[in-house]
Amino acid sequence: MRSRTRPVGARAVGSLEVLVRRSESGKDDRFVVESHPGMKVLDVLVAIQRDHDPSLAFRYSCRVAMCGTCALRANGTSVLACQSSVPSGAKELRLAPLAGLPVLRDLVVDPAPFFARWAAVTPYPVPDAAVSAPAVVRPDSPERRTIDPALDCITCGICYSSCSVSDEGRDFLGPAALNRAMVLIADSRDTMRTERLARIGRLDGIDRCHYIGACSACCPKRIDPFDAIRRLRRWRVTGPPAAGAT
Amino acid sequence: MKPSDLPGPETIQTDVAIVGSGGAGLMCALHLAERTPGSDVTVVSKGIVGKSGCTRMVQGGFNAVLDPSDSIEGHFADTLAGGYWLNDQDLAWALVNDAPKVIVELETRVGCFFDRTPDGRIHQKAFAGQTFDRTVHRGDLTGLEIMGRLRDQMFRIGVRELEDVRALDLVVEEGEVSGIAALDIRSGRPLLIGAKVVVMATGGAATMYSLATPAREKTGDGIAMCYRAGLELRDMEMLQFHPTGLLAGDSRLTGALLEEGLRGAGALLVNALGERFMVRYDPERMERSTRDVVSRASYTEIAAGRGTPAGGVLIDIASVLGTEEVRRRFPGMVDRTRQLGQDLSTGPVEVSPVAHFQMGGVVTDVDCRTELPGLLVAGEDSGGMHGANRLGGNGVAESTVFGARAGDTASEMLSGISTGTSKGASRGASTKGRPSIAAARGFFAKAFRALGADEGEHPMALSKELKELMWRRAGVVRDRANLVEALDALEDLSERCTRTRAPGPPQLNPTWQEAIDLENQVTAARCLVASALEREESRGAHYRSDFPETDNARWLRSVRVRAGEGGRPQIRTVPVELSRLAPPGHDATGDSGDSGGQARTSP
Ligand SMILES: Cc1cc2nc3c(=O)[nH]c(=O)nc-3n(C[C@H](O)[C@H](O)[C@H](O)COP(=O)(O)OP(=O)(O)OC[C@H]3O[C@@H](n4cnc5c(N)ncnc54)[C@H](O)[C@@H]3O)c2cc1C
Ligand code: FES
Repeated sequence: MRSRTRPVGARAVGSLEVLVRRSESGKDDRFVVESHPGMKVLDVLVAIQRDHDPSLAFRYSCRVAMCGTCALRANGTSVLACQSSVPSGAKELRLAPLAGLPVLRDLVVDPAPFFARWAAVTPYPVPDAAVSAPAVVRPDSPERRTIDPALDCITCGICYSSCSVSDEGRDFLGPAALNRAMVLIADSRDTMRTERLARIGRLDGIDRCHYIGACSACCPKRIDPFDAIRRLRRWRVTGPPAAGAT
Repeated sequence: MKPSDLPGPETIQTDVAIVGSGGAGLMCALHLAERTPGSDVTVVSKGIVGKSGCTRMVQGGFNAVLDPSDSIEGHFADTLAGGYWLNDQDLAWALVNDAPKVIVELETRVGCFFDRTPDGRIHQKAFAGQTFDRTVHRGDLTGLEIMGRLRDQMFRIGVRELEDVRALDLVVEEGEVSGIAALDIRSGRPLLIGAKVVVMATGGAATMYSLATPAREKTGDGIAMCYRAGLELRDMEMLQFHPTGLLAGDSRLTGALLEEGLRGAGALLVNALGERFMVRYDPERMERSTRDVVSRASYTEIAAGRGTPAGGVLIDIASVLGTEEVRRRFPGMVDRTRQLGQDLSTGPVEVSPVAHFQMGGVVTDVDCRTELPGLLVAGEDSGGMHGANRLGGNGVAESTVFGARAGDTASEMLSGISTGTSKGASRGASTKGRPSIAAARGFFAKAFRALGADEGEHPMALSKELKELMWRRAGVVRDRANLVEALDALEDLSERCTRTRAPGPPQLNPTWQEAIDLENQVTAARCLVASALEREESRGAHYRSDFPETDNARWLRSVRVRAGEGGRPQIRTVPVELSRLAPPGHDATGDSGDSGGQARTSP
């Protein structure tokens, strides 16, 4: 049997200074927590809440990168708190709420503006009412090869919040919603693909993208919204892909 | 907060209030909106809509009979055998019949796309305890596909979403539900929601253990609300432990699951001495044995001092499949272990049994009706479907199938009311739907008590105490002495919970919310322990070291619990109706008397 890399549940090995943006004061509060190897940002927050300030507000649910509700900024970068490790040897950690969304309290933001844009692309399929059995679609079809890697979006809002265009407060549907639109337009089961393409071609749509690519760089699920936007721009010229020929 | 300082509640009036936005809650909303267009539907969700609860976390998949060579009877028999014959057979029959319809609905109407076979048909994989490969999945993130698409349907049907709002209690007047007392977690203000029908779908209480898999919102709120409203719960002793939860010390990642497919693919379980210990517990099936057996084996090894220093055993798939193959087949699981500085693809990883799923719950009929007019219950909050042990893949099937049924029933109830027939009332709809503030005041006073209290215990410390107590005394292996101690300790805890203190503002105050969670968790825990004490045998997830055998002659009975004097659990047992299928070799002449002296009160 091979040996493990480190004992699990290792005890504290150092201390970490944490600066947390508080909504009531608008300033950072400073806490010192004991750190241990592999400690997640979420663990840091729980430790602060338990040992220092029980009223500190932050959000999480699943702790395994599926709900997408724990996103925040750690040392300026947008991350999922449950998946992001405190860099080993780090002495300081600065935590702030996700940018570009209204702060409800401390690190908790209101996802409503994000979902308003998501809703604007008509994020549900409009199926053919006559279809009553699951479609036969080969997993190696071009259609599925386009959709599958783009499917596991957890709507955490990190791309939306990291996008410099959304950030400037200009009206932009944003990377996540456009990625969802791409998924639906590529899906041969949908009957509204042409209308969808028209929708994302409007003023707040794909042309707002400045091709910076921050969205794809920061996605915790390794989705590539930047690529989705490129495809959408192509399809606007060529029309939606034919079934099986994306 | 003193009752005199309590702000008056804002009121909302709706036709149907759905409590919970997991698989059961959102399927209910969808069916209701389609059957009764124009009805006023409100989804009350403690977390973000569609992004809280466990349906979203489903990895493995969804059991449904789709293949012509599979059969409904086969799925049914597997479900009963898996449940050790404690299941409500009508519920199980409804599940296996509806599951294929729901898969088709999810695929053709909702927008889900599940994994395909090379020729383009829905792929179904093998799951433990099933005689046919019938688990539909989307990679190892099945729940994300289902909940993501269901959430998107809400944009189409346009329900009222009360996000970050928690139900506190059911308001019951003149023997009917008239609505719910709720709390807006964001503003910290009380909310009174009047509803003709309330659907409870808050997803159970498995988080009451120190090692647990579920999402954080699931603190037994629905169970506790129903219990306080006087409803009967069944099989509360049946709490499933999953054998392979990750151990990560104090980290919140502790309890994150390694999926069952690893054992299916040949992973070995070894103790700290390097022994493949399953040979002592199930030499035939070894690591592929069922969840209850494997969990118990690991637990026994750890308790006997053959565990790792951190209190686990080791799962090893790398030496069986090799690094490349593990990475190819289980990328998500490899990622997950790497998060902890380990690597499933290069060596063994430490795991432990973890509390996972609550089989018990509120007694309902196949249409989700309860004994309380106006109240429906669906999903993990309901009991009886899985009996003593849930099969992997039957959980999300249950939440979506019965969520859909609850939506259909609610729709029928609304039409009963609007046509003015007495049918609505007699078939379970509330004729009131307008709660009086007076009837809800006590609930608000109770909920607001901890906020800003001058002194009291820290709810988080109490919650830790509860979880450790449950793990130690009412966990994987139980006995009378420990359960009696647990019951005493819980009585004390339930008293101490009424004296907690939550400093800070009312808005988004996590400690205050935890104080409310705690009371519900303790209530559910007391029901669990009292039921576990009653069942003097071992069956499925419930194992008594002082009664290690399964006793079909005496114990083909369901343990029922209801709030008695002072809210204490009051127990009776009811024979299981073997209405469609009996266990092989079952002697029907066994004792079938009713300890409560009453016939089965079907809701
Ligand atoms: C990690 C994990 C993996 C799983 N994998 C599988 C699998 O592969 N296959 C399978 O069949 N099953 C699986 N299950 C089980 C499955 O998730 C459950 O059976 C099912 O999803 C429960 O659905 P539900 O709708 O009843 O509750 P949930 O989906 O848990 O939803 C509960 C909802 O209630 C809300 N809520 C809670 N309290 C309140 C309150 N007081 N007021 C308002 N809202 C409230 C929550 O916010 C949430 O929205 C898994 C479970 C876990 C934890
Ligand atoms: S807590 Fe769910 S993604 Fe982090």
